Amino acid sequence: MSSAHVDHTHGTLPHEPEKATHEGRNKILGFWLFLGGESVLFGTLFATFLALRNQTNEGPTAHELFNMGMTAAATFILLTSSLTSVFAIQAMHRHKLKQLVAWLGITVVLGLGFLGLEIYEFAEYVHKEHFGMTTSAFSSSFYTLVGFHGAHVLFGILWISLLIAQLFKKGLTVVTAPKIYVSAIYWHFIDVVWVFIFTVVYLLGKVG
Amino acid sequence: MAHAHSVKHHKGLMDWLTTVDHKKIAILYLVAGGLFFGIGGIEAMLIRIQLWKPLNNFVSAQTFNELITMHGTTMIFLGVMPIIFALMNAVLPLQLGARDVAFPFLNALGFWTFFFGGLLLNLSWIMGGAPDAGWTAYTPLASKAFSPTHGVDFYTIGIQIAGLGTLIGGINFLATVITMRAPGMSFMRMPMFTWASFITSAIILFAFPAITVGLVLLSFDRLLGANFFEVAAGGNPILWQHIFWIFGHPEVYILILPAFGIISDVIPTFARKRLFGYSSMVFATILIAFLGFMVWAHHMFTIGMGPVANALFSISTMLIAVPTGIKIFNWLFTMWGGQIRFTTANLFASAFVPTFVMGGVTGVMLASAPADYQFHDTYFVVAHFHYVIVGGLVLGLFSGLFYWWPKMFGRLLNETLGKWTFWTFVIGFQLTFFIQHFLGLMGMQRRIFTYLPNQDFDTMNLVSTIGALLMAVGVIIFFVNIVITMSKPKGVANDPWEDGRTLEWTIPSPPPEYNFKQIPLVRGLDAYWKEKQAGNTEMTPSEPVGSIHMPSASILPFVMSVGLFIAGLGFMFSRDEFSNSFLAGIFNNYVVVIIGLLITFICMLLRSVFDDHGWHIEPEELEEEGVKA
Amino acid sequence: MTVDHQQTDHDVIKHGHRHEGPYKHVVAFIFSIVLTLIAFAAVAAGGVNTTFTVIILLVMAVLQVLVQLGYWMHMKDKGHFIPILFLVGGFFVAFTCVVMALSWVWW
Repeated sequence: MSSAHVDHTHGTLPHEPEKATHEGRNKILGFWLFLGGESVLFGTLFATFLALRNQTNEGPTAHELFNMGMTAAATFILLTSSLTSVFAIQAMHRHKLKQLVAWLGITVVLGLGFLGLEIYEFAEYVHKEHFGMTTSAFSSSFYTLVGFHGAHVLFGILWISLLIAQLFKKGLTVVTAPKIYVSAIYWHFIDVVWVFIFTVVYLLGKVG
Repeated sequence: MAHAHSVKHHKGLMDWLTTVDHKKIAILYLVAGGLFFGIGGIEAMLIRIQLWKPLNNFVSAQTFNELITMHGTTMIFLGVMPIIFALMNAVLPLQLGARDVAFPFLNALGFWTFFFGGLLLNLSWIMGGAPDAGWTAYTPLASKAFSPTHGVDFYTIGIQIAGLGTLIGGINFLATVITMRAPGMSFMRMPMFTWASFITSAIILFAFPAITVGLVLLSFDRLLGANFFEVAAGGNPILWQHIFWIFGHPEVYILILPAFGIISDVIPTFARKRLFGYSSMVFATILIAFLGFMVWAHHMFTIGMGPVANALFSISTMLIAVPTGIKIFNWLFTMWGGQIRFTTANLFASAFVPTFVMGGVTGVMLASAPADYQFHDTYFVVAHFHYVIVGGLVLGLFSGLFYWWPKMFGRLLNETLGKWTFWTFVIGFQLTFFIQHFLGLMGMQRRIFTYLPNQDFDTMNLVSTIGALLMAVGVIIFFVNIVITMSKPKGVANDPWEDGRTLEWTIPSPPPEYNFKQIPLVRGLDAYWKEKQAGNTEMTPSEPVGSIHMPSASILPFVMSVGLFIAGLGFMFSRDEFSNSFLAGIFNNYVVVIIGLLITFICMLLRSVFDDHGWHIEPEELEEEGVKA
Repeated sequence: MTVDHQQTDHDVIKHGHRHEGPYKHVVAFIFSIVLTLIAFAAVAAGGVNTTFTVIILLVMAVLQVLVQLGYWMHMKDKGHFIPILFLVGGFFVAFTCVVMALSWVWW
């Protein structure tokens, strides 16, 4: 809405192309606000889990159920994907399109790895341990909390994949840059939530 | 950009379905909110008719439960909140000196998701029974075992979708206030209505995700067999109450703060005096919002949390009286010594103050935990919250509607009819609800569908019903007023009240699509009043006349909301048994859910892939319009 | 697309982001890996005082989150007042919910 109109689409990009336009800055700000709401969403889910964590209804308990090896693997995969997503943003700030796409691609692959582990874990619980959504209040709250996080990861994977496709088609512009930046913030936020999940659900579950 | 002139403009219905103009979205919110307000009002009338005499059998107990549930739910989520959003949309960008909101597309999306959520909820009446577990949907009453129809599913999923719309709207207004203020419009120069809307939006942002989770848990319990509130499997119904009220108490501040904002704009205008204690007003608003998150368990004093928790929540609740008291005195001091004009808008604003104080006083009474054991679940509570919601918010909304109607529609509402509305509504309101305090103290429980004679309830209930009918007369006069007004030609001045203080009164009524031809330069609080004092008739522009960028209209928000609507219906009926094998196939295998979600996600994809370049209004066109006006 | 320079380019020059290398982020990454390892090790070791383990786990989690928010989500950078305000607000309400769950659901 500013009167100083400079067409950057085909010219040189500013260092931080995501903040070059008013629309871009609005998008980033709006997304931060949204994350404030997301914090409450996950906070309420955590509260539900904490309230019901010992209500196992004679089904499996957290201590019997959780496999530390798999949780550790999932955690390292997601942590690494946070790093690759930071590298993607750095590549974007240096206007290196190929690097940007490559780092985003690696992030997506790591995300898929995490999601695969989670699906495998859920399948194990359901089939081997007879631990389903309806088993106990603990199981319901576990699947809802971790499942909500998993759904966020899935959405992030689809979203970043779509952005990679757009980068191929449109290149790095002041329109695509804010989208990349926002998706990176989202990805880190998912990681933040996971830090709490592996601590509160898995590790504290093991401790008892 | 030069190619912008080829933009397609929709006409008629398509224009309304695709609009991203905040002023048109305001009208959509007003029409939809008014419709749902009417439905909720009819439900209220049926409740009062059932209760007018003892042992009445006008409606059955089941229908009565559905009526009270839907009355509360409809009024709060679908009636007054959209009307609040209508005023915010109509006024907030204008008060900021902005051409648009931060996210016009999201704004439209917020409206349509709200609308389809409300539609879904109200479809319950013709699709096997409305929700019947009260607007709070306490478990186990709301569980599958005790509410076997789909009523509560309509509640969880309808409010889920409508709530999503509200959350989107809240984020949009927050971002608008943060980034779209005109040059010179610092936070501490913003009009009080804008401040109130800003804080309200922040409460929405932090409160609605909690109810989102609560509704997810309840619908998982009912539709997927989860055990959150299922005692037999280790669940706990108290958890629902906590989650509901962690949302529910901030929700009542979502309702009342905008009314505070409206009053704080109307009273100074008609007192021809600047608002007394502006900064303390801002501070009080923020404090109320903050404390609003700390008091939820005062709705649960009788569940047995113990003396420590009850004392804690008692004290935090009583603390809210402090910032609220600051506001009340500020309004009184604003009127003190002013040249007051009692237009209809100001009558409603002035009536708001004592009525709201009465609601506040009973609030402090209820905040005292030991006394609450007596008041709990009686008509005393019903009287209390109707004093704050109707006597507070609804009076505030009437005031705001009369005040800003000329700005929204270019016509002044008829003042004579307006005063008829005022007197019938306010007298009716006091008749209906004042007496309910005593009904409650004498032991009449809320939510009962009838009562035995000779308990001294009879006359008081009759009086209450007569009052309710009088309120209905007031609302009907208001609708007549609207019809008469809208049949007249447009043509009020920019500043029809002549004492306008804020930026919305500096531009034509109704404003052009781009609001401000030139973004004004704000030089103080009450920007327009300040210019008037300096002898100017208009604002100093902060920019030369130039090309104005506008966002493109889009049908995607509408289609996305339809997708959510379909997915919601699909989820609700996913566990039903169908005699028709085709229906069984698509519902029981979640095909309908998937189709609905696909529609929504494909719309999101389209929105992401196709850039919205918008279009421009060129200076020559601005000149032409100027000549026309 | 329209671009306005006034704000961003100046920020960049003042802030000197232009040649920021991966170094800082690799260090942050190693730091968070170490924190994670400590957390897992504390649980694997077992036997120790449960309360002590719980405290260690929570401290590790909070430190991790600070790394994520501060470095990777750029919140320590200038111009993040509003994001911090609203994220802290969200965390605060989330924390209230957790207190509720731990204090007033069972008794």
